[in-house]
Amino acid sequence: MQASDQARNDEWSRLLIRVGRHRDRAAFEQLYFHFSPLIKGFQFSRGGQSSAPEAADELVQEVLFKVWRKAPSFNPDKAAASTWIYTIMRNCRIDALRRHGRQPDTDESLNVEDIWDDSQDDQPLIYLQQSRSESAVADGLQSLPPEQSHVIEKAYMEGKSHSEISEELGLPLGTVKSRVRLALKKLQSTIVR
Amino acid sequence: MIHHHPDNNMLLEYASGSLNWAHSIVVAAHLQLCPKCAADLKLLNGIGGNLLATSAPALASAPEQEKQSFEQLMQRIDSGNQSFDAPEAPEQKAPRTALPRKLAKDPVFASVPPVVEKLLGQNSALRWRRLSKGLKEARLKTGQCQHEVAFHRIAPGNKVAEHDHRGTEITMVLYGSFSDADGIYSRGDFLVREPGETHRPTATQNHECLCLSVVEAPVALTGIMGKLVNPFLSFRPQ
Ligand SMILES: [Zn+2]
Repeated sequence: MQASDQARNDEWSRLLIRVGRHRDRAAFEQLYFHFSPLIKGFQFSRGGQSSAPEAADELVQEVLFKVWRKAPSFNPDKAAASTWIYTIMRNCRIDALRRHGRQPDTDESLNVEDIWDDSQDDQPLIYLQQSRSESAVADGLQSLPPEQSHVIEKAYMEGKSHSEISEELGLPLGTVKSRVRLALKKLQSTIVR
Repeated sequence: MIHHHPDNNMLLEYASGSLNWAHSIVVAAHLQLCPKCAADLKLLNGIGGNLLATSAPALASAPEQEKQSFEQLMQRIDSGNQSFDAPEAPEQKAPRTALPRKLAKDPVFASVPPVVEKLLGQNSALRWRRLSKGLKEARLKTGQCQHEVAFHRIAPGNKVAEHDHRGTEITMVLYGSFSDADGIYSRGDFLVREPGETHRPTATQNHECLCLSVVEAPVALTGIMGKLVNPFLSFRPQ
């Protein structure tokens, strides 16, 4: 990641803290207008019905609503602003998929936040200081061979499981798995270094 | 000390939200007990964060329209719970669901991870079914049609009928320990058995063992006892 990107991520963290502590609307407005096109861009890469513009607008509203409500618990030592917002967005997407019936038989005894909770964040940091490891991840992602970054993007942006990716690319499941593992190994080595 | 973890592929599917509901429950339970995987998850979430930060921004609609969407959101925020509006201490964690009284007294359930506690709280009437001598099972409603989620209790020293699987079976130890030909598994250990692998779990002598498990497809019995007893993780669509 460029130094300027890092500085910008720090800037979004500062804004989030102002929203959390002071319920600062001007800060929230800046976050809204920065992140809503990114969330939509991320969502549009999904393909299929969920990429309808209305669905993307709905997602933006839902994610930013949660950002406002959860901002008091944002801790910049634990996650960069973009990562924190990513996890909120991921949970909203899972929730939307459940409600729209991709996983029709789930019952109501657990909700998304019970399963994708933030309690893991209470664990002590084992790696480097969070913001440094975030920028190492960014560098690492950029230096992955294309066939590896391709499967990583499909997994995150299109929300595909390994077996869905394998079907779609016509690759054996084992190949998809090993590309993912190689990519992660590389990213881990960038961070621990 | 936890020795058996979900692999990176499964953690990545969890972090990217593509792992199915039933498997995600067991992975979450493991993450709540395992600092190593929790640290790995930070990296995996960080990948998502970076992809979001660098995604190609969607073209904005007309500025007035964007402004209007923002105003709508602020109205929704304002009409919501007013208490969210006052500057306050970081959001407190929601109070943990109390365990049903019967379970709270049982040491086996005393220190389960939060996601399991919630499961127990929501399934207050756990219906234990005796599968064989020393082996009981309680199925949960929370699976999907392809997955059966269940608790299993194995009495101290009890051996389970040998079985293999037609589908992937995931087991996580919540209390006590058990062993099979490959090793010994204790609290927090996460095991994946692929179709075709046989095993015969045995609970450790001095303690009862409690496991949370998810099985994908019917389990086949390979032992002669299979005719008489249900497998460790039986599957019967309800
Ligand atoms: Zn682990």
